[in-house]
Amino acid sequence: MRAESGARLLVVFGAVALAVLTVVAVRVPARAVELRGRLPDDGGWSPGAISARVGEPLTLRMTSDDVVHGFAIGQSARPAVDLLPGKWMTTTVVFDKPGKYTYYCTRWCGPNHWRMRGTIEVTGSGARVLADSVPLFLRLKLDLDQAHPSDLLPAETPTAARAGGLPTPVALDGGDLRTQSPAQVWRALRKHPGNARLTDQQLWDEVAAVWRAATSRERLAEGRQLYRDNCAACHGETGRGDGVMAKALVAGPAADPSGIEHSGMPGMSGHGTVAPTDFTNKRNMLGASAAFLQGKLIRGGMGTGMPYWGPIFTESQLWALVDHLWTFQFDYESGAGSSGASRTTHDSASKPAMRPH
Amino acid sequence: MKRSRVITTALVLALGAGVIAFAPLPGASAKPANRHFRVEASAFKYTPATIRVNAGDHVTIDLVSTDVVHGLYVDGYDVSVTADPGRTASLSFVANRTGMFRLRCSVTCGAMHPFMIGKLHVGRNDLLWRALVLTLFAGLAGILLARVREVRQ
Repeated sequence: MRAESGARLLVVFGAVALAVLTVVAVRVPARAVELRGRLPDDGGWSPGAISARVGEPLTLRMTSDDVVHGFAIGQSARPAVDLLPGKWMTTTVVFDKPGKYTYYCTRWCGPNHWRMRGTIEVTGSGARVLADSVPLFLRLKLDLDQAHPSDLLPAETPTAARAGGLPTPVALDGGDLRTQSPAQVWRALRKHPGNARLTDQQLWDEVAAVWRAATSRERLAEGRQLYRDNCAACHGETGRGDGVMAKALVAGPAADPSGIEHSGMPGMSGHGTVAPTDFTNKRNMLGASAAFLQGKLIRGGMGTGMPYWGPIFTESQLWALVDHLWTFQFDYESGAGSSGASRTTHDSASKPAMRPH
Repeated sequence: MKRSRVITTALVLALGAGVIAFAPLPGASAKPANRHFRVEASAFKYTPATIRVNAGDHVTIDLVSTDVVHGLYVDGYDVSVTADPGRTASLSFVANRTGMFRLRCSVTCGAMHPFMIGKLHVGRNDLLWRALVLTLFAGLAGILLARVREVRQ
Protein backbone atom coordinates (compact mmCIF):
# COMPACT_ATOMS: atom_id res chain seq x y z
CA MET A 1 0.00 0.00 0.00
CA ARG A 2 2.71 2.37 1.04
CA ALA A 3 4.65 1.58 -2.12
CA GLU A 4 1.60 2.37 -4.23
CA SER A 5 1.01 5.76 -2.64
CA GLY A 6 4.70 6.51 -3.04
CA ALA A 7 4.47 5.68 -6.73
CA ARG A 8 1.40 7.92 -7.06
CA LEU A 9 3.22 10.77 -5.37
CA LEU A 10 6.15 10.26 -7.70
CA VAL A 11 3.94 10.40 -10.80
CA VAL A 12 2.13 13.53 -9.55
CA PHE A 13 5.44 15.18 -8.68
CA GLY A 14 6.85 14.29 -12.11
CA ALA A 15 3.82 15.73 -13.90
CA VAL A 16 3.95 18.98 -11.88
CA ALA A 17 7.69 19.35 -12.47
CA LEU A 18 7.22 18.81 -16.20
CA ALA A 19 4.47 21.46 -16.32
CA VAL A 20 6.59 23.96 -14.38
CA LEU A 21 9.62 23.35 -16.60
CA THR A 22 7.53 23.82 -19.74
CA VAL A 23 6.12 27.11 -18.46
CA VAL A 24 9.60 28.35 -17.51
CA ALA A 25 11.03 27.35 -20.89
CA VAL A 26 8.24 29.18 -22.74
CA ARG A 27 8.39 32.24 -20.48
CA VAL A 28 12.10 32.84 -21.00
CA PRO A 29 12.71 32.87 -24.73
CA ALA A 30 16.44 33.39 -24.96
CA ARG A 31 16.27 35.30 -28.24
CA ALA A 32 19.96 35.63 -28.87
CA VAL A 33 20.80 36.44 -32.45
CA GLU A 34 24.31 35.68 -33.60
CA LEU A 35 25.67 38.52 -35.68
CA ARG A 36 28.98 38.30 -37.52
CA GLY A 37 30.77 41.20 -39.12
CA ARG A 38 32.93 40.89 -42.21
CA LEU A 39 34.37 43.37 -44.66
CA PRO A 40 31.61 44.56 -47.01
CA ASP A 41 33.44 42.98 -49.94
CA ASP A 42 33.16 39.62 -48.14
CA GLY A 43 29.49 39.93 -47.34
CA GLY A 44 29.30 42.52 -44.59
CA TRP A 45 26.95 41.63 -41.75
CA SER A 46 25.51 38.21 -41.50
CA PRO A 47 22.62 38.09 -41.03
CA GLY A 48 21.91 41.32 -42.90
CA ALA A 49 18.36 41.51 -41.62
CA ILE A 50 17.01 40.82 -38.14
CA SER A 51 13.45 40.91 -36.91
CA ALA A 52 12.33 41.92 -33.43
CA ARG A 53 9.19 42.89 -31.58
CA VAL A 54 8.41 46.08 -29.71
CA GLY A 55 9.16 45.77 -26.01
CA GLU A 56 10.85 42.38 -26.30
CA PRO A 57 14.55 42.42 -25.49
CA LEU A 58 16.67 41.46 -28.46
CA THR A 59 19.98 39.94 -27.41
CA LEU A 60 22.78 40.14 -29.93
CA ARG A 61 25.91 38.02 -29.69
CA MET A 62 28.37 39.69 -32.00
CA THR A 63 31.84 39.02 -33.29
CA SER A 64 34.06 39.86 -36.22
CA ASP A 65 35.39 37.35 -38.72
CA ASP A 66 38.25 39.46 -40.06
CA VAL A 67 39.24 42.90 -38.79
CA VAL A 68 37.94 45.25 -36.11
CA HIS A 69 34.40 46.43 -36.78
CA GLY A 70 31.99 48.45 -34.71
CA PHE A 71 28.27 48.05 -34.15
CA ALA A 72 25.74 50.79 -33.64
CA ILE A 73 22.06 51.29 -34.40
CA GLY A 74 21.04 54.35 -36.38
CA GLN A 75 18.87 57.04 -34.79
CA SER A 76 19.48 55.80 -31.29
CA ALA A 77 21.68 57.11 -28.54
CA ARG A 78 23.23 53.71 -27.78
CA PRO A 79 27.01 53.89 -27.72
CA ALA A 80 28.83 51.92 -30.38
CA VAL A 81 30.31 48.53 -29.52
CA ASP A 82 33.69 47.54 -30.92
CA LEU A 83 33.77 44.04 -32.35
CA LEU A 84 37.14 42.34 -32.13
CA PRO A 85 37.95 39.26 -34.17
CA GLY A 86 37.64 36.13 -32.07
CA LYS A 87 35.85 37.86 -29.18
CA TRP A 88 32.13 37.66 -28.57
CA MET A 89 30.33 40.76 -27.41
CA THR A 90 26.78 40.62 -26.10
CA THR A 91 24.37 43.50 -26.04
CA THR A 92 20.65 43.69 -25.42
CA VAL A 93 18.38 46.14 -27.20
CA VAL A 94 14.76 46.95 -26.47
CA PHE A 95 12.80 48.84 -29.11
CA ASP A 96 9.89 50.98 -27.99
CA LYS A 97 8.74 51.94 -31.47
CA PRO A 98 8.07 49.72 -34.45
CA GLY A 99 9.78 50.45 -37.74
CA LYS A 100 12.86 49.69 -39.74
CA TYR A 101 16.13 50.39 -37.96
CA THR A 102 19.55 50.34 -39.57
CA TYR A 103 22.61 48.95 -37.85
CA TYR A 104 25.97 49.94 -39.27
CA CYS A 105 29.71 49.59 -38.84
CA THR A 106 31.39 52.35 -36.82
CA ARG A 107 35.05 51.52 -37.45
CA TRP A 108 36.80 52.15 -40.75
CA CYS A 109 37.32 48.53 -41.77
CA GLY A 110 38.03 49.05 -45.48
CA PRO A 111 37.32 51.29 -48.45
CA ASN A 112 33.65 50.28 -48.50
CA HIS A 113 33.25 50.57 -44.75
CA TRP A 114 30.08 52.67 -44.89
CA ARG A 115 28.33 50.08 -47.03
CA MET A 116 28.40 47.70 -44.09
CA ARG A 117 24.83 48.04 -42.93
CA GLY A 118 21.91 45.84 -41.99
CA THR A 119 18.31 46.33 -40.95
CA ILE A 120 16.21 45.38 -37.96
CA GLU A 121 12.52 45.14 -38.72
CA VAL A 122 10.64 45.84 -35.51
CA THR A 123 6.98 44.87 -35.51
CA GLY A 124 4.37 45.71 -32.93
CA SER A 125 1.94 48.43 -32.02
CA GLY A 126 2.70 52.07 -31.54
CA ALA A 127 3.72 55.04 -33.59
CA ARG A 128 6.35 54.03 -36.11
CA VAL A 129 9.78 55.51 -35.80
CA LEU A 130 10.30 58.17 -38.49
CA ALA A 131 6.58 58.12 -38.94
CA ASP A 132 5.54 61.38 -40.55
CA SER A 133 8.86 63.11 -40.94
CA VAL A 134 9.13 63.95 -44.59
CA PRO A 135 12.45 65.73 -44.88
CA LEU A 136 12.38 69.39 -45.78
CA PHE A 137 14.14 68.89 -49.11
CA LEU A 138 11.36 66.59 -50.27
CA ARG A 139 8.64 68.98 -49.14
CA LEU A 140 10.41 71.74 -51.07
CA LYS A 141 10.94 69.39 -54.04
CA LEU A 142 14.59 70.40 -54.26
CA ASP A 143 16.67 68.89 -57.02
CA LEU A 144 19.77 67.83 -55.16
CA ASP A 145 21.77 67.22 -58.33
CA GLN A 146 21.30 70.73 -59.62
CA ALA A 147 24.42 72.87 -59.55
CA HIS A 148 23.85 75.79 -57.21
CA PRO A 149 26.70 78.26 -57.65
CA SER A 150 26.42 81.62 -55.99
CA ASP A 151 27.20 84.59 -58.24
CA LEU A 152 27.77 86.76 -55.18
CA LEU A 153 30.96 86.26 -53.24
CA PRO A 154 32.20 88.10 -50.16
CA ALA A 155 35.64 89.66 -50.37
CA GLU A 156 36.63 88.12 -47.05
CA THR A 157 35.17 85.64 -44.57
CA PRO A 158 31.82 86.91 -43.28
CA THR A 159 32.31 87.48 -39.56
CA ALA A 160 29.30 87.51 -37.27
CA ALA A 161 31.01 89.59 -34.60
CA ARG A 162 31.59 92.50 -36.99
CA ALA A 163 27.88 92.90 -37.63
CA GLY A 164 26.17 95.26 -35.23
CA GLY A 165 23.61 92.79 -33.98
CA LEU A 166 21.01 91.39 -36.32
CA PRO A 167 20.07 93.16 -39.52
CA THR A 168 16.94 95.06 -40.35
CA PRO A 169 14.10 92.54 -40.59
CA VAL A 170 13.53 91.80 -44.23
CA ALA A 171 10.89 89.86 -46.07
CA LEU A 172 12.21 86.52 -47.25
CA ASP A 173 10.46 84.01 -49.43
CA GLY A 174 8.81 81.47 -47.19
CA GLY A 175 10.24 82.95 -44.01
CA ASP A 176 12.12 79.76 -43.04
CA LEU A 177 15.82 80.48 -42.94
CA ARG A 178 16.63 76.83 -43.62
CA THR A 179 15.16 77.15 -47.09
CA GLN A 180 17.30 80.17 -47.97
CA SER A 181 20.84 80.22 -49.24
CA PRO A 182 23.17 82.87 -47.80
CA ALA A 183 23.29 84.49 -51.26
CA GLN A 184 19.48 84.81 -51.28
CA VAL A 185 19.45 86.40 -47.84
CA TRP A 186 22.24 88.75 -48.85
CA ARG A 187 20.27 89.81 -51.90
CA ALA A 188 17.16 90.43 -49.82
CA LEU A 189 19.20 92.56 -47.41
CA ARG A 190 20.68 94.50 -50.32
CA LYS A 191 17.26 95.25 -51.71
CA HIS A 192 16.06 96.66 -48.41
CA PRO A 193 16.32 100.49 -48.43
CA GLY A 194 17.33 100.50 -44.76
CA ASN A 195 20.62 98.85 -45.65
CA ALA A 196 21.59 101.25 -48.43
CA ARG A 197 24.49 102.75 -46.45
CA LEU A 198 26.08 99.38 -45.68
CA THR A 199 28.92 97.99 -47.79
CA ASP A 200 28.65 94.60 -49.45
CA GLN A 201 31.09 93.09 -46.93
CA GLN A 202 29.11 94.54 -44.02
CA LEU A 203 26.02 92.87 -45.42
CA TRP A 204 27.87 89.55 -45.59
CA ASP A 205 28.79 90.04 -41.92
CA GLU A 206 25.08 90.56 -41.27
CA VAL A 207 24.31 87.30 -43.05
CA ALA A 208 26.86 85.51 -40.84
CA ALA A 209 25.17 87.04 -37.78
CA VAL A 210 21.78 85.80 -38.98
CA TRP A 211 23.19 82.31 -39.47
CA ARG A 212 24.86 82.29 -36.06
CA ALA A 213 21.68 83.42 -34.35
CA ALA A 214 19.89 80.43 -35.85
CA THR A 215 22.14 77.94 -34.08
CA SER A 216 23.64 77.50 -30.64
CA ARG A 217 26.97 76.66 -29.08
CA GLU A 218 25.76 73.20 -28.08
CA ARG A 219 24.50 72.37 -31.54
CA LEU A 220 27.74 73.54 -33.13
CA ALA A 221 29.68 71.35 -30.71
CA GLU A 222 27.46 68.37 -31.51
CA GLY A 223 27.83 69.03 -35.23
CA ARG A 224 31.59 69.30 -34.93
CA GLN A 225 31.77 65.95 -33.16
CA LEU A 226 29.50 64.25 -35.72
CA TYR A 227 31.59 65.74 -38.53
CA ARG A 228 34.81 64.50 -36.97
CA ASP A 229 33.48 61.00 -36.47
CA ASN A 230 31.71 60.50 -39.76
CA CYS A 231 32.75 62.99 -42.42
CA ALA A 232 36.34 64.11 -41.85
CA ALA A 233 37.81 60.92 -43.29
CA CYS A 234 36.80 62.05 -46.79
CA HIS A 235 35.94 65.75 -46.51
CA GLY A 236 38.99 66.50 -44.37
CA GLU A 237 39.34 67.81 -40.85
CA THR A 238 39.48 71.33 -42.29
CA GLY A 239 36.54 70.79 -44.67
CA ARG A 240 38.64 71.20 -47.80
CA GLY A 241 37.61 67.88 -49.31
CA ASP A 242 41.14 66.59 -48.74
CA GLY A 243 40.55 63.90 -46.14
CA VAL A 244 42.79 60.87 -45.99
CA MET A 245 40.29 58.77 -47.94
CA ALA A 246 39.91 61.40 -50.66
CA LYS A 247 43.15 60.29 -52.28
CA ALA A 248 41.51 56.98 -53.01
CA LEU A 249 38.46 58.59 -54.54
CA VAL A 250 38.83 59.42 -58.18
CA ALA A 251 38.47 63.07 -59.01
CA GLY A 252 35.57 63.18 -61.43
CA PRO A 253 33.10 65.76 -62.65
CA ALA A 254 32.20 66.97 -59.18
CA ALA A 255 30.17 69.84 -60.60
CA ASP A 256 28.02 67.40 -62.53
CA PRO A 257 27.39 64.33 -60.39
CA SER A 258 25.08 62.88 -63.02
CA GLY A 259 28.07 62.23 -65.23
CA ILE A 260 28.94 59.06 -63.40
CA GLU A 261 32.25 57.61 -64.42
CA HIS A 262 32.94 53.96 -63.85
CA SER A 263 36.58 54.48 -63.17
CA GLY A 264 36.13 54.18 -59.44
CA MET A 265 38.83 53.27 -57.01
CA PRO A 266 40.05 49.71 -56.92
CA GLY A 267 38.01 47.91 -54.34
CA MET A 268 35.13 50.31 -54.72
CA SER A 269 32.17 48.38 -55.93
CA GLY A 270 29.71 49.30 -58.58
CA HIS A 271 29.99 53.07 -58.79
CA GLY A 272 32.22 55.76 -60.04
CA THR A 273 33.32 58.19 -57.38
CA VAL A 274 34.11 61.86 -57.38
CA ALA A 275 36.29 63.96 -55.14
CA PRO A 276 34.55 64.86 -51.88
CA THR A 277 32.91 68.28 -51.71
CA ASP A 278 35.08 71.14 -50.52
CA PHE A 279 33.06 72.98 -47.87
CA THR A 280 35.43 75.94 -47.97
CA ASN A 281 34.39 76.61 -51.58
CA LYS A 282 32.41 79.88 -51.35
CA ARG A 283 30.75 79.61 -54.75
CA ASN A 284 29.11 76.27 -53.98
CA MET A 285 28.32 76.74 -50.32
CA LEU A 286 26.88 80.26 -50.37
CA GLY A 287 24.44 79.19 -53.06
CA ALA A 288 23.14 76.26 -51.01
CA SER A 289 20.39 76.29 -48.43
CA ALA A 290 20.42 74.30 -45.20
CA ALA A 291 17.55 72.19 -46.53
CA PHE A 292 19.62 71.38 -49.61
CA LEU A 293 22.63 70.34 -47.53
CA GLN A 294 20.45 68.25 -45.26
CA GLY A 295 18.98 66.57 -48.34
CA LYS A 296 22.46 65.70 -49.57
CA LEU A 297 23.24 64.12 -46.20
CA ILE A 298 19.99 62.16 -46.11
CA ARG A 299 20.10 60.93 -49.68
CA GLY A 300 23.84 60.55 -50.17
CA GLY A 301 25.78 61.03 -53.32
CA MET A 302 24.04 58.75 -55.81
CA GLY A 303 27.19 57.24 -57.23
CA THR A 304 29.70 59.77 -55.97
CA GLY A 305 30.87 57.61 -53.08
CA MET A 306 29.03 59.78 -50.54
CA PRO A 307 27.14 57.59 -48.04
CA TYR A 308 23.45 58.17 -47.34
CA TRP A 309 22.94 59.14 -43.71
CA GLY A 310 19.14 59.24 -43.61
CA PRO A 311 18.70 56.06 -41.59
CA ILE A 312 21.71 56.77 -39.36
CA PHE A 313 21.25 60.30 -38.00
CA THR A 314 18.25 61.75 -36.24
CA GLU A 315 16.62 64.89 -37.58
CA SER A 316 18.31 67.03 -34.93
CA GLN A 317 21.71 65.45 -35.58
CA LEU A 318 21.33 66.26 -39.27
CA TRP A 319 20.58 69.91 -38.53
CA ALA A 320 23.48 70.10 -36.08
CA LEU A 321 25.76 68.74 -38.78
CA VAL A 322 24.49 71.28 -41.30
CA ASP A 323 25.05 74.04 -38.72
CA HIS A 324 28.65 72.91 -38.45
CA LEU A 325 29.11 72.96 -42.24
CA TRP A 326 28.42 76.72 -42.28
CA THR A 327 31.38 77.28 -39.97
CA PHE A 328 33.60 76.55 -42.98
CA GLN A 329 32.11 79.69 -44.58
CA PHE A 330 31.27 81.98 -41.69
CA ASP A 331 33.40 83.12 -38.80
CA TYR A 332 31.29 82.90 -35.65
CA GLU A 333 34.14 83.15 -33.18
CA SER A 334 36.73 85.81 -33.86
CA GLY A 335 36.28 89.27 -32.40
CA ALA A 336 33.60 87.96 -30.10
CA GLY A 337 36.13 87.31 -27.39
CA SER A 338 35.40 83.71 -28.34
CA SER A 339 33.07 83.51 -25.40
CA GLY A 340 30.12 84.86 -27.29
CA ALA A 341 30.35 88.08 -25.27
CA SER A 342 28.97 90.16 -28.08
CA ARG A 343 26.01 87.93 -28.56
CA THR A 344 22.81 89.79 -29.06
CA THR A 345 19.63 89.20 -27.18
CA HIS A 346 18.44 87.14 -30.12
CA ASP A 347 20.04 83.93 -29.04
CA SER A 348 20.02 80.34 -30.10
CA ALA A 349 17.05 78.88 -31.87
CA SER A 350 15.21 82.18 -32.07
CA LYS A 351 15.11 82.99 -35.73
CA PRO A 352 15.54 86.53 -36.86
CA ALA A 353 12.23 88.23 -37.36
CA MET A 354 11.18 87.48 -40.90
CA ARG A 355 7.89 88.37 -42.40
CA PRO A 356 6.52 86.08 -45.05
CA HIS A 357 5.07 87.96 -47.98
CA MET B 1 103.16 31.81 -10.30
CA LYS B 2 101.72 32.20 -6.82
CA ARG B 3 98.19 31.42 -5.86
CA SER B 4 97.77 34.94 -4.51
CA ARG B 5 98.68 36.28 -7.95
CA VAL B 6 95.82 34.36 -9.50
CA ILE B 7 93.40 35.65 -6.89
CA THR B 8 94.59 39.21 -7.45
CA THR B 9 94.15 38.85 -11.20
CA ALA B 10 90.66 37.46 -10.73
CA LEU B 11 89.76 40.30 -8.35
CA VAL B 12 91.02 42.91 -10.79
CA LEU B 13 88.99 41.31 -13.58
CA ALA B 14 85.87 41.21 -11.41
CA LEU B 15 86.37 44.85 -10.53
CA GLY B 16 86.70 45.71 -14.24
CA ALA B 17 83.49 43.86 -14.98
CA GLY B 18 81.73 45.75 -12.20
CA VAL B 19 82.95 49.06 -13.58
CA ILE B 20 81.70 48.19 -17.08
CA ALA B 21 78.33 47.07 -15.77
CA PHE B 22 77.60 49.83 -13.29
CA ALA B 23 79.81 52.87 -13.81
CA PRO B 24 77.88 55.93 -14.90
CA LEU B 25 78.59 56.49 -18.55
CA PRO B 26 79.84 59.81 -19.88
CA GLY B 27 77.70 61.62 -22.43
CA ALA B 28 75.67 64.69 -21.71
CA SER B 29 72.05 63.78 -21.13
CA ALA B 30 70.01 66.43 -22.91
CA LYS B 31 67.47 68.48 -21.00
CA PRO B 32 63.96 67.02 -21.25
CA ALA B 33 62.11 68.61 -24.14
CA ASN B 34 58.61 68.41 -25.58
CA ARG B 35 58.83 66.23 -28.65
CA HIS B 36 55.96 66.07 -31.11
CA PHE B 37 55.61 63.46 -33.84
CA ARG B 38 53.04 62.86 -36.54
CA VAL B 39 52.90 59.18 -37.40
CA GLU B 40 50.87 58.06 -40.39
CA ALA B 41 49.45 54.58 -40.17
CA SER B 42 48.58 52.76 -43.35
CA ALA B 43 48.28 49.12 -44.30
CA PHE B 44 50.61 47.75 -42.76
CA LYS B 45 53.28 50.27 -41.85
CA TYR B 46 54.02 53.36 -39.84
CA THR B 47 55.56 56.45 -41.41
CA PRO B 48 57.95 57.31 -39.86
CA ALA B 49 58.60 53.83 -38.53
CA THR B 50 61.39 54.90 -36.18
CA ILE B 51 61.17 57.56 -33.51
CA ARG B 52 64.24 58.74 -31.56
CA VAL B 53 63.92 60.75 -28.38
CA ASN B 54 66.16 61.54 -25.41
CA ALA B 55 65.50 60.08 -22.01
CA GLY B 56 63.05 62.18 -20.03
CA ASP B 57 61.44 63.83 -23.05
CA HIS B 58 57.72 64.52 -23.11
CA VAL B 59 56.65 62.61 -26.20
CA THR B 60 53.41 63.32 -28.04
CA ILE B 61 52.49 61.15 -31.00
CA ASP B 62 49.65 62.15 -33.32
CA LEU B 63 48.39 59.05 -35.02
CA VAL B 64 46.84 59.64 -38.43
CA SER B 65 45.26 56.72 -40.20
CA THR B 66 45.08 56.86 -43.97
CA ASP B 67 43.05 53.78 -44.82
CA VAL B 68 41.41 51.75 -42.04
CA VAL B 69 41.27 51.91 -38.29
CA HIS B 70 44.73 51.41 -36.78
CA GLY B 71 46.23 51.56 -33.32
CA LEU B 72 49.62 52.28 -31.81
CA TYR B 73 50.89 50.44 -28.75
CA VAL B 74 54.25 51.27 -27.21
CA ASP B 75 55.91 48.23 -25.72
CA GLY B 76 57.50 48.78 -22.34
CA TYR B 77 55.44 51.91 -21.68
CA ASP B 78 52.12 50.12 -22.02
CA VAL B 79 50.29 53.04 -23.59
CA SER B 80 48.14 52.84 -26.69
CA VAL B 81 45.85 54.86 -28.90
CA THR B 82 43.40 54.08 -31.72
CA ALA B 83 42.70 56.24 -34.76
CA ASP B 84 40.12 55.98 -37.52
CA PRO B 85 40.69 57.89 -40.76
CA GLY B 86 39.65 61.49 -40.20
CA ARG B 87 39.89 61.16 -36.43
CA THR B 88 43.44 62.01 -35.54
CA ALA B 89 44.21 60.71 -32.08
CA SER B 90 47.16 61.55 -29.92
CA LEU B 91 49.16 59.83 -27.25
CA SER B 92 51.44 61.40 -24.64
CA PHE B 93 53.94 59.90 -22.27
CA VAL B 94 57.22 60.71 -20.58
CA ALA B 95 60.08 58.68 -22.02
CA ASN B 96 61.65 57.74 -18.71
CA ARG B 97 62.82 54.25 -19.67
CA THR B 98 65.80 54.06 -21.96
CA GLY B 99 66.30 51.52 -24.67
CA MET B 100 64.61 50.40 -27.85
CA PHE B 101 60.89 49.66 -27.68
CA ARG B 102 58.56 48.21 -30.29
CA LEU B 103 55.61 50.11 -31.67
CA ARG B 104 52.82 47.77 -32.63
CA CYS B 105 49.39 48.11 -34.18
CA SER B 106 46.84 47.42 -31.46
CA VAL B 107 43.83 47.03 -33.73
CA THR B 108 43.32 44.04 -35.97
CA CYS B 109 43.55 45.88 -39.27
CA GLY B 110 44.01 43.15 -41.85
CA ALA B 111 46.03 40.18 -42.98
CA MET B 112 49.48 41.58 -42.18
CA HIS B 113 48.45 43.24 -38.93
CA PRO B 114 50.95 41.29 -36.77
CA PHE B 115 53.81 42.65 -38.87
CA MET B 116 52.82 46.29 -38.54
CA ILE B 117 55.61 47.45 -36.29
CA GLY B 118 57.87 50.41 -35.63
CA LYS B 119 60.58 51.37 -33.18
CA LEU B 120 60.97 53.89 -30.40
CA HIS B 121 64.53 54.67 -29.34
CA VAL B 122 64.81 56.40 -26.00
CA GLY B 123 68.27 57.81 -25.33
CA ARG B 124 71.34 55.72 -25.89
CA ASN B 125 70.85 52.00 -25.44
CA ASP B 126 73.27 51.73 -22.49
CA LEU B 127 72.18 48.21 -21.64
CA LEU B 128 73.15 47.00 -25.10
CA TRP B 129 76.55 48.69 -25.05
CA ARG B 130 77.37 47.52 -21.56
CA ALA B 131 76.38 44.00 -22.48
CA LEU B 132 78.57 44.09 -25.61
CA VAL B 133 81.62 45.41 -23.77
CA LEU B 134 81.03 43.01 -20.90
CA THR B 135 80.90 40.07 -23.30
CA LEU B 136 84.15 41.10 -24.96
CA PHE B 137 85.70 41.66 -21.54
CA ALA B 138 84.59 38.23 -20.35
CA GLY B 139 86.15 36.64 -23.45
CA LEU B 140 89.44 38.43 -22.86
CA ALA B 141 89.37 37.60 -19.16
CA GLY B 142 88.83 33.93 -19.99
CA ILE B 143 91.83 33.89 -22.30
CA LEU B 144 93.96 35.73 -19.69
CA LEU B 145 93.00 33.38 -16.84
CA ALA B 146 93.66 30.35 -19.01
CA ARG B 147 97.15 31.64 -19.78
CA VAL B 148 97.82 32.35 -16.07
CA ARG B 149 96.83 28.74 -15.28
CA GLU B 150 99.08 27.42 -18.07
CA VAL B 151 102.07 29.27 -16.66
CA ARG B 152 101.34 27.77 -13.18
CA GLN B 153 101.38 24.25 -14.52
